Amino acid sequence: MDYEFGEDGEQLRSQLRDLIADRIPPGYLGAFTDEPEDLAIAQRFCKELASRGLLTLSWPKEYGGRGASLWLQTVVREEMWAHHEPRGAQYMGLNWVGPAIMEFGTPDQKRLHLPALAAGDEIWCQGFSEPDAGSDLAALSTRAEPDDGGWRISGQKIWTSYATIADFCFLAARVPGDGSKHAGITIFLIPMDRQGVEVRPIKSMLGPHHLNECFFDNVWASSDEVLGEVGQGWKVIRRSLAYERVGIARYARCDRLLSLAARQLDGEWDSVPASLRARWSRALLKVRVARLLAYRCVAAQARGEATDALASVARVAVTQCDQEVAETLFQLLGHRCLDGAKSSAERESSEGGVLPYGAVEDHWRYAQAATVASGAIEIQRMLIARSILGNHGSGAS
Amino acid sequence: MDLALPRVADQFAAAADKAVSGAGGVDLARRAEADPAIRATQVKPILDALGVHDIDPTADVESAAVAGEMCRVAGRYVLPFPIVGYLLADPDHDMPAVLASSPPLRCDHGDLFPRWRVYDLAGGVSVSTPSGQPVGSRLAPFVTDLNPPGAATGTSLAGVAFLSTLWAFYLLGVAEHSLELAIAHVKDRVQFGRPLAAMQAVQFQLADATVAVDGLRELAHFTIWQVVSSQVVSSQGATTVADGLAARLHALDVLQPVLRLAQQLHGASGFCEEYDISVLVRHVQPAVRLPVDSEAMCEIVFNAIQTQGFTSLFSK
Repeated sequence: MDYEFGEDGEQLRSQLRDLIADRIPPGYLGAFTDEPEDLAIAQRFCKELASRGLLTLSWPKEYGGRGASLWLQTVVREEMWAHHEPRGAQYMGLNWVGPAIMEFGTPDQKRLHLPALAAGDEIWCQGFSEPDAGSDLAALSTRAEPDDGGWRISGQKIWTSYATIADFCFLAARVPGDGSKHAGITIFLIPMDRQGVEVRPIKSMLGPHHLNECFFDNVWASSDEVLGEVGQGWKVIRRSLAYERVGIARYARCDRLLSLAARQLDGEWDSVPASLRARWSRALLKVRVARLLAYRCVAAQARGEATDALASVARVAVTQCDQEVAETLFQLLGHRCLDGAKSSAERESSEGGVLPYGAVEDHWRYAQAATVASGAIEIQRMLIARSILGNHGSGAS
Repeated sequence: MDLALPRVADQFAAAADKAVSGAGGVDLARRAEADPAIRATQVKPILDALGVHDIDPTADVESAAVAGEMCRVAGRYVLPFPIVGYLLADPDHDMPAVLASSPPLRCDHGDLFPRWRVYDLAGGVSVSTPSGQPVGSRLAPFVTDLNPPGAATGTSLAGVAFLSTLWAFYLLGVAEHSLELAIAHVKDRVQFGRPLAAMQAVQFQLADATVAVDGLRELAHFTIWQVVSSQVVSSQGATTVADGLAARLHALDVLQPVLRLAQQLHGASGFCEEYDISVLVRHVQPAVRLPVDSEAMCEIVFNAIQTQGFTSLFSK
């Protein structure tokens, strides 16, 4: 029994914090703001992480990683998410696209994509959800028809994050088959600049790049662009979602913002209502519990014993914690948070420190999506129910 | 990083569960209510046979985890014995420890021992004696008033941290057993031609309760490790008293809705004494209310965090 990350982990955490302090402006709120420079900062930062071998730390050495433990990868996730994910969209490539290609890809697919992902050169988007297939993902209707030794793909995807900047799409489509719901789904690795692919941004409270519609109009895909076996895509999706559900250390940003807010309130706690002081105390506890449940998942993954239910329990705790902390922070710091922070300058105090107001506003907006993204919380509850009630549990798959 | 409880703690928990459930489980609480003497004549011998008096929770991680698991198992059956205080008793085991808030002092099973070492939540330590017989009410069959304590004999924030953390294990035991009873009941009980478990409203509530109980279990494990392994540096000023108190607070926050849900899902059976859930709900109340219940506890935790700190990724 030991909850320390060890000397390696502490050194890595310290190295990452130094690097962030040096390369990322104070008050940085992530790559996807109204300022284009924020995206450029993330792209430069990814290259720098890659050059230091930190981008794909836990990947096997043969695929451009350092073969580090999942625990060191956890340190990276925590520090990146806590500091508003200065890797931009790359976290998806590292957390689940790369691992899925390692597990299911052909040697050519690995050669094409893994070095590029490890170098921070390739951005991916996830073509899963459709207008009529959200939580019920297996109901997707984008079709891939055999054509001249390859495939022709037509359909519509929605809520596709980062599609406007992505180089490739991890696309789920249905091939002709026996008509059963899960069989027939196949994963294609499609370049986003291919003829017939159109992306339309969806304006949302999350900010630019987060949500898009993608239209696939008779898009050609070669047989070499199929990931895994034709008709076995559901297996790939389930593995990918399991990686994704614990890939974002949302609790780490909650932790950092609660600390920033406490510093802002130093000496003023007496003017905070007792009920809100209590809520702040409980928020610290919820963050700790969410972190421990995420660690339980990492430990299970490290043993090769990860399950849907373990990931879902962590996911419910972490996303609910995200929303609770967002609301607590807003109430603690007051309506000044409404103003947000459009520019880096607005995020810094005259003394040079970081003002938490803009970060809290950003966190609150983004947290609203926490219990929907990567599988709605209701789906997580269905998966948990199935694990505790056996055959009586509902049929989420 | 190694989140697993020490093997010795798992083995001890299995043995303790077998011994307690073999002796009647929740029935021990029912029998003690009818005949309080069995706490000394039947329950204590079970603990003696398990070697509980040899466990020093403060000795090392293994011993602390064994103590935690003993409390969890006791909580599962609302074992009628002051197990938390007994584990932190003086070496002769004739003066258990009790957490206390402001007077008047009260203690569950206070009548079982002639003297109690009283740890107030600010860390002051003193000695008290029982002032009479147990209250004997439905929610407090064994709660006993204590006399005003003598002069302070010392201070021990570590003692407060250990007591509070072991109470979190006890409350975890109550929560997990309540949830198990609810799950078993909804699988078995058929209404509208199908088990209650087939209804999504029931499933979702049980899923949320599972998340809560799983989280409490992880927190209890983490906190006992933190409290026992920080003793080395506590002489330099670092204490984990806020962490220990916070573990009890979280246990209270988790237990209340889990108990409520478990009783609700039992329908009218949930109030009936022949069903274990009813006995769990009643007998755990002293552990919930003493020395203070959740909202008062939360204020205490807030103040402890302000004065003693609370470790997090960004607290340094």
